Amino acid sequence: MGEPIIDVRDLRKTFRVTERQEGLAATLRSFVRRQRRDVNAVAGITFRIEAGEVVGFLGPNGAGKTTTLKVLSGLLYPTAGEAHVLGFVPWRRENAYLQQMTLLMGNRTQLVWDIPAADSFRVLQEIYGVPDESFRRTVGELTELLELQDLVHKPVRNLSLGERMKVEFAAGLIQSPRVAFLDEPTIGLDVSMQSRIRRFVAEYNRRTGATILLTSHYMDDVVALCRRVIVIHHGHLLYDGPLADLAERMAPYKIITATLRDGAAATIDLAAYGTVTGRDEGRVTLKVDRQGAPERAARLVNELGENLADISVEDPPIEEVIDRVFSEERVGTAT
Amino acid sequence: MIDVYRALFVGQIQAASQYRVQSVLWMLFSVIRPVIFLAAWVAVANAQGGRVASYDVRDFAAYYVALSLVSNLATSWNAYDFEFEVRMGRLSPKLLRPLHPIHYAVVENIVWKMTTIIPLLIVLGFVAVTFDARFRATPVHLVLFVPSVILGGSLAFLGGWVIATSAFWTTRVHAVSTLWDRAVFIFAGQIAPLALLPGALQTIALVLPFGYMLGVPAEILQGAVDVPTAMLLIAVQAIWVAIFYALLQVVWRVGVRQYTGVGA
Repeated sequence: MGEPIIDVRDLRKTFRVTERQEGLAATLRSFVRRQRRDVNAVAGITFRIEAGEVVGFLGPNGAGKTTTLKVLSGLLYPTAGEAHVLGFVPWRRENAYLQQMTLLMGNRTQLVWDIPAADSFRVLQEIYGVPDESFRRTVGELTELLELQDLVHKPVRNLSLGERMKVEFAAGLIQSPRVAFLDEPTIGLDVSMQSRIRRFVAEYNRRTGATILLTSHYMDDVVALCRRVIVIHHGHLLYDGPLADLAERMAPYKIITATLRDGAAATIDLAAYGTVTGRDEGRVTLKVDRQGAPERAARLVNELGENLADISVEDPPIEEVIDRVFSEERVGTAT
Repeated sequence: MIDVYRALFVGQIQAASQYRVQSVLWMLFSVIRPVIFLAAWVAVANAQGGRVASYDVRDFAAYYVALSLVSNLATSWNAYDFEFEVRMGRLSPKLLRPLHPIHYAVVENIVWKMTTIIPLLIVLGFVAVTFDARFRATPVHLVLFVPSVILGGSLAFLGGWVIATSAFWTTRVHAVSTLWDRAVFIFAGQIAPLALLPGALQTIALVLPFGYMLGVPAEILQGAVDVPTAMLLIAVQAIWVAIFYALLQVVWRVGVRQYTGVGA
């Protein structure tokens, strides 16, 4: 294992926010004396990411994901702790760092609205000092991967949200960054556009070997792209490890779905095999203890015999696992 | 850096070309105020036998024509734009590029001036003829006007940025920048030529930086000051530019640490 591309140690970011009660009296009081409160957006997190990894950064709203990305990209100064990305301290914002990094935020624009994206690309080429040949190659690849042919010559303000997001992606990658921070890259996009962006990110990672740290509330993004996830909540790290192990570690149960033949569902009581969590005509969903799942499934097959048309044993949906993590805050780090 | 500026210019000219009419309207709006003051001073001068102190009606005309040109060339709107960018999170992508955000503002300002200078000169030519403006400038004054208006514009630009940078702390800088604009209005020579301000106000105006943004280049273009005085005033302009440049370095370095990336 070489030097990590992203190395974060006990990173903290505290915001001081002003608060006041509602009402006229409180408003008048706030003119004279303001009540301030410290909010620990990031409360001491530590992790390392190796070259070429695509890591999902998960957490509910307000967990500290975006703040962490802003600190790692160099936008914010941390309150305490250390971070190195590509060997640079991000918040020093050295040009050599900024030229190798990008922060893409869904629903945020960095393009000039009134001119076609192709012209913004040219400006970015000069700002990042990309040689002509590399620029042509990169734009060509991005145009192909993102299907931008018809989009780059229209003023950005005339593009739809999904089209604009694709063009934003291209603008953020003109400099061929070695590290990309993607904050909710598919937010607000329709299913087909989400899927296209996902395929693009995966292909981009494969072609360039770029290291990607991505936040998303859409679990499909995470499942499609990330083998590893980091889960944070209230600024604390709850889990760092393979996505596949998240369910095992965080949800001590499995889901058995048994499909019964016509009429059998009405007469057979499956409560003896586990907790019935769903019933949809012949399909019955059971929640069973993780360790006991194989034995329960075998019993179902043996005892229901011909009444059983189909059976599956699965981890709970990732959304359910995450929801459970956030609601129970079970702390654990994969080793 | 030349290539970066060329690319920024091309992009900005394309963007500006979509708002040509708006630019010209803004330019016309900026000329209205000096013309109103010109008309007022002409009325005062005529009531006093055609003269107020050392200025007669034709001098006032020359001064306000010169001031309008200088205002257009030297004024910038950074504080308002910058506040908007900070509040809406639009500064964030600029902060993450290997180019200081000030360069975008430099180009925006220059392009705006380029797109409005020709219609402005036509309007001012019309005003000059209508009011029979009398310029006393010699060729040396015209040569000295060039560095003076550049320094005046640089001073106004850097001053605006120092004020705008307070948005890092407050997010909203409208009140501060309005106060700044009012000080410019009083002390930069817009109400009256600096030479006509009453004793104490004139002293204050010569000590503060505002007069060196607009009034000084206008008086040099008008030829209201002799050449040695003009050179002295240009030297003071240069000192103010150096002070505000240094101040901006400090304020920016401290301020950017306060940036919270709101809305971004």
